[in-house]
Formats: sequence, C-alpha cells, structure tokens
Amino acid sequence: MDITTEIRKIVGDRLSVSPSELYCYSSDASQVKGMPDYVVRPKSTEEVSLIVRLAYENEIPVTARGAGTGLAGGAVPVGGGIVLDMSGMNRILEIDIDNIQVVVEPGVIQDALNDALKPHGFFFPPNPGSSAMCTLGGMIAYNASGMRCVKYGTTRNYVRDLEVVLADGTVIHTGSKMLKSAAGYDLTQLIIGSEGTLGIVTKASLKIVPLPKTRKLVIASFENAEIAGQAVVKTFSNGVIPSACEILDRVSLQVLKRYDPNLVLPSEGDVILFEVDGTESSAREAAEQIMKVCVPLALSMSLAESEKEMADIWAARKLVGAAVSRLDPTKSRIYVGEDVGVPIKQIPELLKRVQEIAEKFDLPAMKYGHIGDGNLHLALFIDVLNKDEWDRLNKAADLVHRTAIELGGTVSSEHGVGAARAEYMKAQWGPALEVMRAIKKTLDPKGILNPGKLGL
Amino acid sequence: MKNEERKNENETGEKNSKELPFEIDRRSVYKCVQCGTCRSVCPVFDAVGWESANTRGRMLIIKSLLEGRPPSEDVLPSLASCTTCGICAAKCPAGANPPEVVEAARAQLVKCGVTTEAQENLKSAVITYGNSFGDTKSRKHWLSETERSKLPEKSEYVYFVGCFDSYRYPEFAKKTFGILQRFGVTLLPDEQCCASPLLRTGFTEDAEKVMKHNLEQIRKVGAHTIITSCAGCYTTLKNNYPEELRVISLPEFLAEHLEELNLKKLDFTVTYHDPCHLGRHNKVYNAPRKVIQAICTLMEMKNIKENARCCGGGGGVRTGYPDISLELARTRLKDVPEGVDYIVTSCPLCVRNLRDAGGDIEVIDIVELVAMAIE
Repeated sequence: MDITTEIRKIVGDRLSVSPSELYCYSSDASQVKGMPDYVVRPKSTEEVSLIVRLAYENEIPVTARGAGTGLAGGAVPVGGGIVLDMSGMNRILEIDIDNIQVVVEPGVIQDALNDALKPHGFFFPPNPGSSAMCTLGGMIAYNASGMRCVKYGTTRNYVRDLEVVLADGTVIHTGSKMLKSAAGYDLTQLIIGSEGTLGIVTKASLKIVPLPKTRKLVIASFENAEIAGQAVVKTFSNGVIPSACEILDRVSLQVLKRYDPNLVLPSEGDVILFEVDGTESSAREAAEQIMKVCVPLALSMSLAESEKEMADIWAARKLVGAAVSRLDPTKSRIYVGEDVGVPIKQIPELLKRVQEIAEKFDLPAMKYGHIGDGNLHLALFIDVLNKDEWDRLNKAADLVHRTAIELGGTVSSEHGVGAARAEYMKAQWGPALEVMRAIKKTLDPKGILNPGKLGL
Repeated sequence: MKNEERKNENETGEKNSKELPFEIDRRSVYKCVQCGTCRSVCPVFDAVGWESANTRGRMLIIKSLLEGRPPSEDVLPSLASCTTCGICAAKCPAGANPPEVVEAARAQLVKCGVTTEAQENLKSAVITYGNSFGDTKSRKHWLSETERSKLPEKSEYVYFVGCFDSYRYPEFAKKTFGILQRFGVTLLPDEQCCASPLLRTGFTEDAEKVMKHNLEQIRKVGAHTIITSCAGCYTTLKNNYPEELRVISLPEFLAEHLEELNLKKLDFTVTYHDPCHLGRHNKVYNAPRKVIQAICTLMEMKNIKENARCCGGGGGVRTGYPDISLELARTRLKDVPEGVDYIVTSCPLCVRNLRDAGGDIEVIDIVELVAMAIE
C-alpha cells in the first residue's frame, strides 16, 4: 500500500512530503529534533480519524502539532511518521454564554478566543507567554497555564468535554456541557496533559469566566531574588491571592528595558509584579495589603493602575524569554531547564540553588516566571556557535531538573515533558510511572501516538 | 504557494543546484530561537498555512542549508514567497531581522543557480530594458518632446520616478513632477530601475551595475537630494546606495513644503495604508499623515504604522506568487474603516495590489490627493 496515495485520498493536497516542509516540522521551540515522513493538515474530525486509522493499520507514528511553540519537543516526531498539523482546524464553533462555555476546534489561537469573548464580557484565563500564537489544542495537550494561573488555575480547570480520536481512529467524548458529573472515570482529565500520547483532541468545550472589573499592578523591587521570594511567601500567608505574581530578576529587567525603553520598571534589584483584580474596592484593598506586607522587605514599590501601563508591562513580560539577545547579540536563549517548579515555600531555596548552578557552570542566567505558583523560568543563554557552552548548558539544565525534584517539585510546571524531560520521569514519579505506562499500553497498544514522549 | 505546486515539487523530485557553498552570516540566522511569535503576524503564513510559509519556517530552511543540505528548488516556495514586509522583525523578541536573512539567502541561491522562473524574468527585464516590466518605451514617455527638451541639466534636486510611475502610473509621475518642478527639481537624463527588484530577489551582482549607472546619472546632474514617490525605490536608494545620498520620500517633501503648496481643504474622509518599505523599514509614519490631515479628515485603519499589514506586493511575491499576493491585499482591505471615501497610500506597488484586490473604495496615491487639493 502506498501511504502517500492513501493519505492524499483523505486530505487531498493538504499533505506535504517536500523535504523543506518536512524540515520545518522537525522541531519546535526546543532543541529536540525529529524528521517526519509526512505532514498533514486535516480540516475535520473525520479526516483525523481516517488518518489515525490508516496509521494504526500500518503502524505509523502520528504526532499532533498545534503552533509548534512547545518547549519540550512534544510536537516533534522523534519516531518519524505523520505530523498532524492541527492549526488549520481553527473555528470557534459556539459561544454559549448561558452555559458559560465555548466549543472550539483545537487550532484556535488563545488570543483569538479571548478577542472573541471580550465583547461578551468573558475570558478564558490560562494565558501562556505564547498566547498570540499558541493553540488551545496544544494548551490542552500540555496542560498549559501562564501568568494568571496563581488565581485562575491551569487549562485543566477549564475543560468540560473533549472530542478525542483514539489510536484506532475511534472518536469519543470525554464529558459534556455539565458543570459536574459523578459517572465514571474522568477521561477528560486523563487526556489533558497527555501530550498526544493517548488520543488526539479534535474539539473542546471550555469553561469561561467573567472579565474582572479592574486590575491593578504592584511593582516591588528587592535587594535579591531570595528576598523577593520571601515577599511572595509572606503575601500568600497573609491571605492575599494575586491574579498574577511574577518575578523578574535584574537581568530580566535589563532585557525588558532593551526591548522597550519606555517601560516603567524599577532600575535596581529583583522585581515582583503582583497583579490583583476584582472590583475597584477589592482590588485596591488587595494592592494595599500587598504593599503593607512588602514594606519591610522591598527596596522600592509603585502601583500601576492605567490600563496602557499594565498592558505594556505584560506584553513585554510575555516576550522576555526570547529577548535575551537584546542584551548581547552573540547570545541566544536556549530553552532547557526552563520550567521547573517547587512548592511555594521552597521558592527562595530554589532561586538560591539555581543561581549557584548558573555560576558553577559560568553561564549567564535570567530568572523570571510565575513565582506565585512556584514555577520558575530559568533562561540560560549561550553563544550557539560555541560547543563548550552547549556542554556546560546541558550539564546545568540537568542539575536544575534534579534540584527541583529534590525540593519536592516538578521538572515541568506548564511546558510539558515531551522528549526533552522524558529522562526525569522515573525520578519524579517512581512506581507511578508504571501506572502511566499501563494506561498508555491499554489505549495505544501499538504505540503509534506520539512515541518517545513522557518517558513512557 | 499553491498546494498543487507543492505536490508537483514532491512528485517530480528535486533539481539540485550547482555545487557551491551556501554561506551567510550565521549569527543573523541563529538569532531566531524558534519561539514562533512570527506565526501571529506573518501575512504570507496567514494566507498559506504551511509552516514553511512562515518566517520561522524560512529561518529553519536557511539553517538547514547552512548545515549542509544542498540548495534545491524545493526551498523556493518558502524562500521566494516572503514579501520582506518586515512585520516579523518588528515583533521578533530575539531581535532577528528575517527579511535581511531571506534576502541574503536569496542571493546565495542565485549564486547556486536556484531561482524561480519569475525571478529570472524579472532580472532579465531589468537588465535588458532598465525597467522591471520589460517595457520598451522611453522612460520619459509621459512628458512631451518640448517638456523633455526643457528639463534642467543641472539641479540639486532630482525626482527619481521609478519603474511603476514611469510605466504603469504615468499620471502619478506627471502630477508628482508637476508639483516638484515648482521647486526646481529635475529628472535624471537616463534613469534606470533603482535595482530594488534585483536586490529583493537575490541578484546582488546585477543590482550593483544598475545602481552604478544611476549613481553616475545623479553625479552628472549634480544633485545632492533624491526625491522619490515609490516606497521600494525609497528604501533602496536610501539603504542600498552609498550613504552620501540624501533621499526623501514624496510625503516627506510635501510635508516639509505644506505652506508653499497652499492646499485647499476638501470635505471628505480617507484612510492611509502604510507601505512596508516606507513605514516599518524606514519609519516614515508621520509625514504622509501630516499631508493628509492638511487636506481632509484621516480615519486610521485597524492596523497601522509598525503593525500595518502588508499589501502583498513586495519582495517579488506579486510576480512569483500572484494568488498569495492578492490574498494579502484582500486581507489588508479588511482593515479599512467604514465611512471613508478613499484609501490613500504612498507607493505605486501598494496602489496596484490594493486596487487589484477589488474593494469598493477607490485606492489613490498621496500625490493624487494633493493634486485634488491644488486644483
């Protein structure tokens, strides 16, 4: 059987086997590489089902891909085979305000959904830095979150129902429009974060929430990142839950200022951005409480209330990860060891240990991230033309991952495991990994769905 | 690129290049960290949907060539379909400049003998006829014999007409020169294509010859300032010719001389489309707006200035991939606000593409607006 002909019968010219096209789908934003044999851009659940069935019958690996903004190689076809580029299935099928939910195809861009919801006064809260281009399907597959997770939770908290194509092409629904259900295993939650290893999401019903009336931003700077971490712990223990709580160390600040010199940010220290939202009075009260908590610890503090000022800071913050080259054009940020997380109380310790690791390997480091939920994005940057720097980088990243596990944390808080962090799954999960393997074997006995991922 | 075309590439196999090393500044390529931010803005990707039609895909393909993949025609649908609009560079957090990288890669591909037929035709037209259309008429056909004979041989100011205004929109050239003559501006005795089409599509060596010819002409006239009404000519004369040239765009010149022009107010509303090579590439945003607002009401498009969407006409895409090019123009027309009488722009290439996209609102060049206010 000629696979190319068979695929073409299903999707027509939305198949490519051009070497250049295949190369474009051989990586994401991580360092993982893997060349596909076919790239397919399906338009419907039926097409996905037929392609997967064809792959099942012929034991060809199938890797689903959204926008390819992943940082762990999750969408990289390390076993070759078919890449399903789901970004063309990008319709918002229903905005059901009465049931406070939406039904979307997996290729819908996160920002596009929120643009569509804004006139209704609602939003879908999980907002990764890549919200301008990442797809909801990718967010579901990796349980993505972002800056507002500290108050609003992760993608996992917003999925009511998924339409999933299983390994043999069978199409199932994992839930309904119901707010709750006590009937059977929660397959929705099983699929979320499974990185395309158990099935391929072709539709999703997502819970939405009302937009807050107002937001305010407390910008506090501290002598060092450890003290900044202590301020965060104290804020929480005083009963305030910010809607975002981000750390930007001094290197990150320099990068941001290069990116946008007009940003109103402190010129010294390591900074925490505490965003609060709600009604005018509740947000003001929360902001004042945070400032009170931070007084004994902070070098400086300010309150941003204008929408434009806050929007500019958040827009720059979203892009800081890739903007390191603005500081030194010979250096590039490499996404490794970039997504560890620890229990909130361990944050000061993690910040200290991560800094020591960067110094030990003599690598410039930028530390930023969702400190409010224990998630630190460490940005190590190197000259990509220097092999020695690559070696040191990989050693440092390895140590960062092991440190997070040692502190009771995770190697990935929101970017996923993919192939990049697969080797740490045993250390993080112990015997629970065998349970995951058993589930995988049951749902995908031939191992065609995104092989080589999650350490399975 | 059309899907049909992709299919053919796949099935007919690759035509490999001459065995020459593909080499460009590696750092400029490795600046791309593959974050994919460009997916949210690349207009060609928006129209085509394949990763290779996006900036990140182009950078990846160029990386693969640097890492030893032999250049072949297989890369062309990706690398030849970039309009070099530069919105990716404006948004790139890592500070990469993909249009520059793409142009450098195209130049290497030309050296390796990997080009599209459209590219070759364009080059041949410029080299043989001195214009991008292969037009055999005199470049000054829009002037009468008498007018031509009266052109000053020497002047400090020269109006660089460009291929488009010379051959496709001679009425723009007439109106522009009509205004500029009041200020003692002359024409080059033998202007040729500015070389933009050659530079954008990788024919750097051929471009050198054309630029040399035009420079000699400029020296002959003794001009220190070149005025041009084409965004493509403007960026080329300003950024690819030697630095001692002072180049001003027509909107900048008009904005500087508003008082002397004595324009009357007109009772209508227009919107303004920022040409990529005037706006994003050279930051000429305010001058055209100043001129428009001196004449009538300006209502802005949905995406303007740094965020303006490309009309699809640049980078050789109009010639090489007309379907994609027009798709971009149609998308750009969706940014036009309701209730405007005209869409004004200051680039003949944008005028043509936006007109061809077939909207209901008339697309005019800024010189036509000014001419209405003078008449």
